[in-house]
Amino acid sequence: MIALVNRNLKVYFRDKASVFFSLLAVIIIFLVYLLFLGDVWAQNLPQVEGVRPMMDSWIMAGLLAVTSMTTVMGAFGTMVDDRSHKLMKDFSASPVSRAAIVAGYELASFLVGLLMSLLAFALAEVYIVMRGGALLAPAGMLAMVGLIVLSSLCNTAMISFVISFFSSQNAFGTASSILGTLVGFLTGIYLPIGMLPAAVQVVIKIFPLSHAALLMRQVMMAGPMEKVFAGAPPAMTQGFMDEMGVVFQLNGQNMSTPLSLLILIGSTALFYALATLRFSYKSR
Amino acid sequence: MDKIIEVAGLKKAYGSVQAVRGLDFYVERGKLFAFLGPNGAGKSTTIDILCTLLKPDAGVVTVDGHRLGAEDSAIRASIGVVFQDHLLDPLLTVEENIRVRGGLYPASRGSLNEAVARAASTADVKDFLKRPYGKLSGGQKRRADIARALINTPKVLFLDEPTTGLDPQTRKSVWESIQALQRETGLTVFLTTHYMEEAAEADYVVVIDNGNIAARGTPSALKEEYASDLLRLVPADEAALLAVLDAAKVAYARVANQVVIKIPTTLQALPLLDAVKPYLSGFEVSNGTMDDAFIGITGKEIRE
Repeated sequence: MIALVNRNLKVYFRDKASVFFSLLAVIIIFLVYLLFLGDVWAQNLPQVEGVRPMMDSWIMAGLLAVTSMTTVMGAFGTMVDDRSHKLMKDFSASPVSRAAIVAGYELASFLVGLLMSLLAFALAEVYIVMRGGALLAPAGMLAMVGLIVLSSLCNTAMISFVISFFSSQNAFGTASSILGTLVGFLTGIYLPIGMLPAAVQVVIKIFPLSHAALLMRQVMMAGPMEKVFAGAPPAMTQGFMDEMGVVFQLNGQNMSTPLSLLILIGSTALFYALATLRFSYKSR
Repeated sequence: MDKIIEVAGLKKAYGSVQAVRGLDFYVERGKLFAFLGPNGAGKSTTIDILCTLLKPDAGVVTVDGHRLGAEDSAIRASIGVVFQDHLLDPLLTVEENIRVRGGLYPASRGSLNEAVARAASTADVKDFLKRPYGKLSGGQKRRADIARALINTPKVLFLDEPTTGLDPQTRKSVWESIQALQRETGLTVFLTTHYMEEAAEADYVVVIDNGNIAARGTPSALKEEYASDLLRLVPADEAALLAVLDAAKVAYARVANQVVIKIPTTLQALPLLDAVKPYLSGFEVSNGTMDDAFIGITGKEIRE
């Protein structure tokens, strides 16, 4: 299985174009923010010092959540390719179990998601500091690494389930570009959750990945928000957090961090079980 | 006799299409065994079953003493397969490809290095070991495929139409390497082909058509049995010639300007020739070929 993981990683990173395309959604979000979204939001907020670094942290948190999804999806593309090119035949004629073959793809995709997200996190911190923000405290960094691991796991499980339905490259390519676009909305990045209708808000709150974005925002924005909202009325702070998806409301109460973590871990377990079921059914 | 592969009553259907309808055959250890048949005869289905990729509907198969269906993993460890399609990673180099696939077999890292070097030199891929597989020519790719199949020093090497789609010169050189490999290492080679000249050089041939075994034997036995020698006469005086043949009750066919007569052995052409000599402008005696045998067996020309 280690040989397979190794091979899948090599195949993914050797294809520069596919690495680029798996980052495309992230690059688009970043450019859109850089070019005009950032200005729009900054103008809507009171002109207090530190608004810009706070919003930078906000967008970067969302971006990181998306990065792990799109890169995991890109890495899983190898599996679809192998299936459509019948490459799977060669593995199947070797003394490795079907489960190990699937696990090889899953583990490789997880590692790709993890590596790329960690890299993106480092770049995000560089960007924030370059624009005059503060570097995240060590405790925050540790929390971010934990969240990145968790969101990569969750994405691996979800995409693994989705991928079990695809065996043609075309279908998967289309699906992944749609998902890549959709995920920007589903995690409340293109438009903050507060600007969306109630029904869509419910979908966002159910979507596991938006909880990863939520938790990352909480970690990355804690410092900057303290500065911006120093001395502001609590209602105003709460209003901002609701609007931007720094907290989610459930029955008029803030959803707790453990609940969000539980949703992430629970959906990872659920989708992993479903994917395993799908693959074992398929190999029969 | 040491049988490395034994197949009895093998059946496989895809829905209502019967691909393989009850095959019985065996392969002797250390021999070059050819499975000959037109496209769609069931060759690839059979090879996929023997390589544990497809589950048969019925039948008993043992490969190197391991029972198919019960000891698939042991079978997979003791075989090497060259598939019809090129199944290595185009972006990785030949060496990386062989090494990665070698990692799928139980072996230590040190012996993997050795195995890679050995497979590379046996399959003669050393010259392009560091080049990406996707950039190789058809013949080089095929050699790399063979190197990959040899990585676990298999007991049986399966090759599914290894020379199909190669230009004649490359085809010849790949074919010669396969023969050399079998001769030098004593490896059992099981290959499917629809090229007569390849089947003619095998130790044993099974001809399959429509999922059934149509004939089997050594190439010379098959030729003996199914192909007849031919006598072609070019008449100078056609009417007189045919009159002589009719009088002697010799069956003949007329092809273009020739009169073709089937004869059991080439020597029997002599008395006939003596009889018709005055009316001839020329003649030709030819031995039966595998092509003739194949047509004799299946009643049709090979379908490309």
